[in-house]
Amino acid sequence: MINLAPHNKLGLIIDSPLIAGSGAAGYGAAWPPGLHAEDFGLIITAPISATPRKGKAQPRLAEIPAGFLLETGDHNPGLRRVLASHVKTWRKLKTPVALSLVGGEPGDRAWMAAHLEDVEDVIAGVELPIPETVNLGEAGALIAAVRRVTPLPILARLPLTRAAYLAKTCVVAGADALIVGAPPPAAYPVDGDWVEAPLGGPIVLPFTLRALRQLRDMSLDAPVIAAGGVQTLDDALLCLELGAMAVQIRSLAWRDPAAAHRLALNIRSFMDAEDN
Amino acid sequence: MIQTRALLEAREEAGSALSLRLRAPDLAAQLVPGQAVLIQTGWGYDPFLRRTFHPIAIDSESFAIRLAVDGDRGRAWLRLAQPGAELDCLGPVGKGFILPSRARRILCLGGGDAAWTLLPLVQRAAALGHAVTLATDALSKRQTIPAAMLPISVEYHIATIDGSAGRKGALSALLPELLPWADAVIAAADMDFYRQLGRAIEAARVLPPKGYAQALYQMNFLCGTGACQACAVDIAGGRRRVCLRGPVFDLVDILR
Repeated sequence: MINLAPHNKLGLIIDSPLIAGSGAAGYGAAWPPGLHAEDFGLIITAPISATPRKGKAQPRLAEIPAGFLLETGDHNPGLRRVLASHVKTWRKLKTPVALSLVGGEPGDRAWMAAHLEDVEDVIAGVELPIPETVNLGEAGALIAAVRRVTPLPILARLPLTRAAYLAKTCVVAGADALIVGAPPPAAYPVDGDWVEAPLGGPIVLPFTLRALRQLRDMSLDAPVIAAGGVQTLDDALLCLELGAMAVQIRSLAWRDPAAAHRLALNIRSFMDAEDN
Repeated sequence: MIQTRALLEAREEAGSALSLRLRAPDLAAQLVPGQAVLIQTGWGYDPFLRRTFHPIAIDSESFAIRLAVDGDRGRAWLRLAQPGAELDCLGPVGKGFILPSRARRILCLGGGDAAWTLLPLVQRAAALGHAVTLATDALSKRQTIPAAMLPISVEYHIATIDGSAGRKGALSALLPELLPWADAVIAAADMDFYRQLGRAIEAARVLPPKGYAQALYQMNFLCGTGACQACAVDIAGGRRRVCLRGPVFDLVDILR
């Protein structure tokens, strides 16, 4: 068992170091064939905003060598409808669920976190994606505003290229764990238009490894979760060796659910062998 | 939806392109004409995304896909695959065509390469005793569907841009004479044609009733389960995921 929020009285105990990253299974119900909630120690939902968002118009997807760019514009039906539609599903799952809260202003996330009071028994934590462009003060304010209104474990998702810069501030402001992190944005042409979006797929792994190496030397008092580009058991073990307590996948679940299921089995076997 | 390894049984010329017959009984048994199959290409992570295909033939144990000549490196990799190779397939994705039970006369309209995806439906409709007319267009005779691939009972109309077969011009030119005959329309083409079709139906039938025409919305899918949201488009009065609501829609919803 791994506790991703050791300093939070609620804790965030997971039974596998493999996490379904934000949106890998939508809101916890869009499972590809052969992949199940039980394959993961934690499920993080697709992004949820305070009010419904229509998201970005097409094109949303561009293929690049060894990966893709995907910009959905945080398309989602808003917090109230997500809770109304999915709390029953989350209650039935044996795997804990964390909600990914996004918003234009720090106040949006705090408002959403405050509205989770009635479902705190169903939700294991909240993920807060830290925007690429924030400074230290803004990142700290964003985390602190949510910390003030909810006891739930906070997982701060840091931009991979700025993780070392933002990490300590986020922990001091109240983050229980750091997700490393959000891939760098890029641009690619599609059918005479452009997709500007974060990278996805195996091309992201070197960015994740660099950020993990930077954080390893910082003596942070918070667990680190690796996210970005993990496709194989070797990738996952590399992240764990670099100090990550858990590893997220997303594009692997979309592209090759059978391989994701094999990874889930293999990482459990590996951890069991390590324990014995 | 399932993920399975399909055995490449045969490579055949299909007009100007290549068709691959893939044996995958568990997947073929679930496939409905118009649904998509996502196939992994390449040996490593490049290309990373699966390629989307709408089968051009479906039987109880296998299905066929068509590889048109284009610059895509994933489809180029597939063109090199030899019989005996195993291909990783994910499908079926979405909702396919529904043969209208009360319609007797079914008009199938295929624009360009998309016309080939109508073949499984044409076969099924003819086998069930519907009167079927297939009308397609292509750049030239070389790209048209050979009449020998159709059931003998199917009436077949062709339009070619260069006039090398059938009527010279585009498919839309055939609509005024064909639409009044049809009880139901099934279409696979691009958005420009769907707009023309909508106008032609309005002209021929006062207003297009819901359920009269079904149309295939073609796009490339990433996950096929709705999780990634890459395929959300403005359709049916909202921004919706094609892999869940489609890829076959009522024409009224596509044009709304």
